[in-house]
Amino acid sequence: MDVFANLATGFGAAVTPANLLFCLVGCLLGTLIGVLPGIGPIATIAMLLPITFGLDPLSSLIMLAGIYYGAQYGGSTTAILVNLPGETSSVITCIDGYQMARRGRAGAALTIAALGSFFAGCVGTVVIAAFAPMLAGFAEKFRSPEYFSLMLFGLVAAVVLANGSVLKAVAMVILGLLFGLVGTDTQAGVTRFTFGVSELYDGIDFVPLAMGLFGFAEMMGNLEKKLEDRSSTQKIDSLWPTREEAKLAVPAVLRGTAIGAFLGILPGGGAVMSSFASYTLEKKISKSRAMFGKGAVEGVAGPESANNAGAQTSFIPLLTLGIPSTPVMAIMVGAMMIQGIAPGTALLTEKPILFWGMIASMWIGNLMLVIINLPLIGLWVALLKVPYRLLFPCILILCCVGAYAISSSTFLVMMMAGMSVLGYTFNKLGCECAPFLLGFVLGPLMEENLRRSMVLSFGSPTIFVERPISLVLLLLSLLLLLMIVLPSFRKTREDAFQE
Amino acid sequence: MLRVKSPQDFWAGLLFICFGALALFLGRNYAFGTVTRMGPGFLPTVLAWFLLGLGIIIGLRGIALDGPSIAPGKWRPQIFILLGIVLFGLLIERVGLAPTVFIVGIVAAFASVEVKWKEAVLLSAAVALFSILLFIKLLGQSMAPWMWSP
Repeated sequence: MDVFANLATGFGAAVTPANLLFCLVGCLLGTLIGVLPGIGPIATIAMLLPITFGLDPLSSLIMLAGIYYGAQYGGSTTAILVNLPGETSSVITCIDGYQMARRGRAGAALTIAALGSFFAGCVGTVVIAAFAPMLAGFAEKFRSPEYFSLMLFGLVAAVVLANGSVLKAVAMVILGLLFGLVGTDTQAGVTRFTFGVSELYDGIDFVPLAMGLFGFAEMMGNLEKKLEDRSSTQKIDSLWPTREEAKLAVPAVLRGTAIGAFLGILPGGGAVMSSFASYTLEKKISKSRAMFGKGAVEGVAGPESANNAGAQTSFIPLLTLGIPSTPVMAIMVGAMMIQGIAPGTALLTEKPILFWGMIASMWIGNLMLVIINLPLIGLWVALLKVPYRLLFPCILILCCVGAYAISSSTFLVMMMAGMSVLGYTFNKLGCECAPFLLGFVLGPLMEENLRRSMVLSFGSPTIFVERPISLVLLLLSLLLLLMIVLPSFRKTREDAFQE
Repeated sequence: MLRVKSPQDFWAGLLFICFGALALFLGRNYAFGTVTRMGPGFLPTVLAWFLLGLGIIIGLRGIALDGPSIAPGKWRPQIFILLGIVLFGLLIERVGLAPTVFIVGIVAAFASVEVKWKEAVLLSAAVALFSILLFIKLLGQSMAPWMWSP
């Protein structure tokens, strides 16, 4: 079959000693930073991005994929061991994972999470390999109006999935779009909102923006809080689940994988929605519903597999359409741009080795996580006990060097300081930064496609509803928006974020 | 006397209004163009008005509807972290990587109330050494490990 021939090409490119090493280093670093409490995958990737600058494109993407999965894995580890979700998608894992740990089953919970994630990762890889070329073929039919509508759909999804006030999320998206427009308007050749600063002519640099908004804003928040009691870290006795636990876990993993793989493909779906949907399903069909919230095995196995499958398949819209559907994917675009790779339909046809190599590396990354992390779990637990006062200066320095290294410019370092103030303010005011980031990345793309669409239609906005694909996408966006208005969905959404 | 019922929403609204107004002001000279041929000012202007409108709605809701208050902040973490970043920007091209990292590390450590002098100095020295190894030796970044050019 074609899929396997393609995957073989990918493995051929990805499995070189050097690339395996980069993948290993990426996984280790990603887990290392991801395990640190209060640092999610977005901040982790942004922070480690500069390390990949010097590598060739494939190696750097391989390392980044490793970092991404490592960060995800690290997030679930802290969720299970200390009840601290490292990221939104492991919020669900906290519920039953931590309870399992309190019953002395921490090792089993971690193993189930790791193996479930690995299985989901394998399936996700095959799904990408099978569907990405198909979707890419479909995407060739896309013209500017379709792209515009698709991006709109992604933004609407980001708003719906954001925590808290919908109005504020919409405002954050718009503000993000505006920030994205800073720089030279290539079509008119005019610089906008640059204050005459030459560093801004190419737009606001992504890395210092993300590190400021996420990394430093989180850091300031963490330092304000009373330091959490780490003594609650649970002991780990045996890593292996019992026979009964395994029996419960396996079907949950299968269901979770299916849900995640499907939801991840939808723009705006991704890991968060997948894990929540899986948890709801497991709770509904379980025979012992009372166990949920008290350490149900399925409550760990399902969502953990789902979020990994979702994390994997959310690469599909990025790789085929060039549209990041989640903030993490937005960072990936940033990373690819830095390497001179434009994600999108052309990637598959013009750089097949890179495309398939990256997909193969995702699988390798998942495998490596299982191999290295289960034996290393003791190390990560020890790391959890390192006091924050020793960690944050290191993180701060890492970010500063990273921001400076992008173009040896102190302006970027200063901008990062500004962004951290902004991010801190947003957090205080209950405004989520994730929709902002997505708007920021999509801003220039949306403007370009809007312009082209208007040229195509001689200024008539009906072009968006006259073209069938575009119409479907707009209707879907509308549907999503209507869902928020529905009281039942609204309640579920609030519950999801409260848990 | 007006009482703000949801300070978070009220101030967020105000912030959005400011950003919207700022964008409108800065973008006042960008050509708007027509719908068919959009100028560089088209989207910024439209978005800025949207933001302004949303800001007003959010702000008014903050006055009218009950909502969460703003968690009180602390100055210490903010000041020392910002000072650390800014110092890094000021020093890196003047004294080189190692001294910069050493100084920034010590300053940043004071963002935590648990800071200990000895610990901060030792940690910063270690990180300075480590960053030379990692960034200059291993990753080949073009940064001087140390220098003096005031």
